Amino acid sequence: MRSLRIGLLLGLRQIQRANFWTTGLIIFVMMLTFLNLIAVSGILVGLIAGAEAAVRERSLGDIILSPRDDEDHILETEAVERQLSAFPEIIAYSVRYQGGGELEANYMERRDLRGERDIAAVSVTGIDVERELAMTGINRDIVAGEFLAPDDEGYIVLGALYTEEYASNFGDIFETVSGVEPGDTVRLTIGEVSKEFVVKGILQSKVDEVSLNTYIPEREFRRLFGRIDRNADQIVIRVEEPARNDEVKAALVGLGLERQAKIQTYEEGKPKFITDIKNTMNLLGTFIGSIGIVVASITIFIIVFINALSRQRQIGILKGIGIDRRAIELAYVMQAAFYALAGSALGALLTYGFLLGYFERNPIKFPFSDGILVADPEETALRFVVLFTITLFAGFLPAWLIVRKNTLNSILGRK
Amino acid sequence: MSTLITTTNVERTFGTGALTTRVLKGISMTVEAGEFLAIMGKSGAGKSTLMYQLSLLDEPTAGHIMIDGTDVVALNEVEATTFRLNTLGYVFQDYALVPDLSAEENVMLPLLMRGAAWEAARLTARGAIDAVGLEGKYGNLPAELSGGEQQRVAIARAVAGKPKILFADEPTANLDSISGRAIIDLITRLNQENGQTVVMVTHEREYAMGANRIIHMEDGQITGIEELRPL
Repeated sequence: MRSLRIGLLLGLRQIQRANFWTTGLIIFVMMLTFLNLIAVSGILVGLIAGAEAAVRERSLGDIILSPRDDEDHILETEAVERQLSAFPEIIAYSVRYQGGGELEANYMERRDLRGERDIAAVSVTGIDVERELAMTGINRDIVAGEFLAPDDEGYIVLGALYTEEYASNFGDIFETVSGVEPGDTVRLTIGEVSKEFVVKGILQSKVDEVSLNTYIPEREFRRLFGRIDRNADQIVIRVEEPARNDEVKAALVGLGLERQAKIQTYEEGKPKFITDIKNTMNLLGTFIGSIGIVVASITIFIIVFINALSRQRQIGILKGIGIDRRAIELAYVMQAAFYALAGSALGALLTYGFLLGYFERNPIKFPFSDGILVADPEETALRFVVLFTITLFAGFLPAWLIVRKNTLNSILGRK
Repeated sequence: MSTLITTTNVERTFGTGALTTRVLKGISMTVEAGEFLAIMGKSGAGKSTLMYQLSLLDEPTAGHIMIDGTDVVALNEVEATTFRLNTLGYVFQDYALVPDLSAEENVMLPLLMRGAAWEAARLTARGAIDAVGLEGKYGNLPAELSGGEQQRVAIARAVAGKPKILFADEPTANLDSISGRAIIDLITRLNQENGQTVVMVTHEREYAMGANRIIHMEDGQITGIEELRPL
């Protein structure tokens, strides 16, 4: 306790009397280290979080109903829909019919019937336009033409990655049709059945489920695919409070809907690779941040070492007049703690007071997502504890090395 | 009258083998309680080395040192630090104040280390600063004081805890003659008025004249003891 008191007094006064600019510079370095630790992994994770948020908004929603494992479709879809309509926490839902088909373009201009056809294997989704737009608002992703209207017949909306013009940036990864624009006629073939559609619009989204899809009205889908039972392939649901979607899921299970469909929250239903990539990015961010911690530790070590070394004689004298070595060490540890605390506090202020909002308003544009900054307070607190602990050690070690020297040698400046 | 320090055949050598240097060669002496003892000698005579042994800043290579009934040579580093804190006061050549602490805080340091409460330590420190003639300069940093004033603060720090022995290692070495004289007067007064036991190393005979005895050293040995005034 005595040592603590003396250590705090010595440490506090050293900080108070230190050069303002030097202290400012050290705190600035610590702030950058904190930001490096939080922001780098935060942005890496944020890239995926941005993608995840987009998938949730534009495609999967908060709760996903899909066919039970032993069924091909959601059973008694209309009955399920009635239940969903009456559920107060559900603010929107969309019933989707999904299948695969062959899209052909430019067939009317084709003169050589033995020549190569302009075709692409595509995913087809039949939707209730009003419900889909209320649920996902994917019409906002239209880049050419317009989205389907509720009463449209004979129109199709193509995902941009099925058109050569938009998919060319990705090389030959996707099967595409070429030169298709709104107003062109394309042919969709399902098995033996073909139907011509007029392309009404082209959708380009950072969500692959949208850009790699074609949308037609559900009535036409059912006719084309022969789905007379009206049983859908997917129902996605938006709830009033997304954070409580597990409670809504439990309520749906309580209503007995699990007899008709598999019910998953977004977290359960999202593709596993998203979680894997997120974890990988987090790990990568932690690794990069760790390098920052090492650099900061070395910086603190050098600062405290030089500080203690330049005060070696004073340290000897303090020991000479009977001051406990732990008190002297504590003074330097306190300095390191101050730098870490002040730097981290500034870093946290910058992160939560500015950067989070800034990246929210101005996301980083990546081909696959709009990257935001993710800084989970718990994760931040954990990283701060790591930074703080390592900084304390980096402050203690040089002080310990200097203080343990022979008292008289320190006083006389002998090595 | 009681003996406070007894040394028996204290030796201090530096180096090993052929490079061994014997700085102290069997020093045996005593210091009585309340005595003012001056140690004089030329540079290299071993007077500072002897002072370091007596004040537990260094360990003798051989011999025994008893201070206030304790065999101080047997103490480990932590015990020696505690012993210095509770029993000894030390005035260094160049004041050796902590530059970041005010005069008052410098004096408070050993008191706080002894476990005094903050306010009690402050009052004692102010009393000690007043006693060395620096009334009102409690909050001054060392850099804001002259050399003589800094040395007075150092003396206040050394005696505030009422140590049994005050060691002063050439306390006037960095001072002009007027300031030096004032410091010697202060130390002499502490001895004569408060009965403070003082062991002081000095080059200047003039400054040693207030002592009870002068020990003369040469080449690591005591060459003579001069009685100036009886205890």
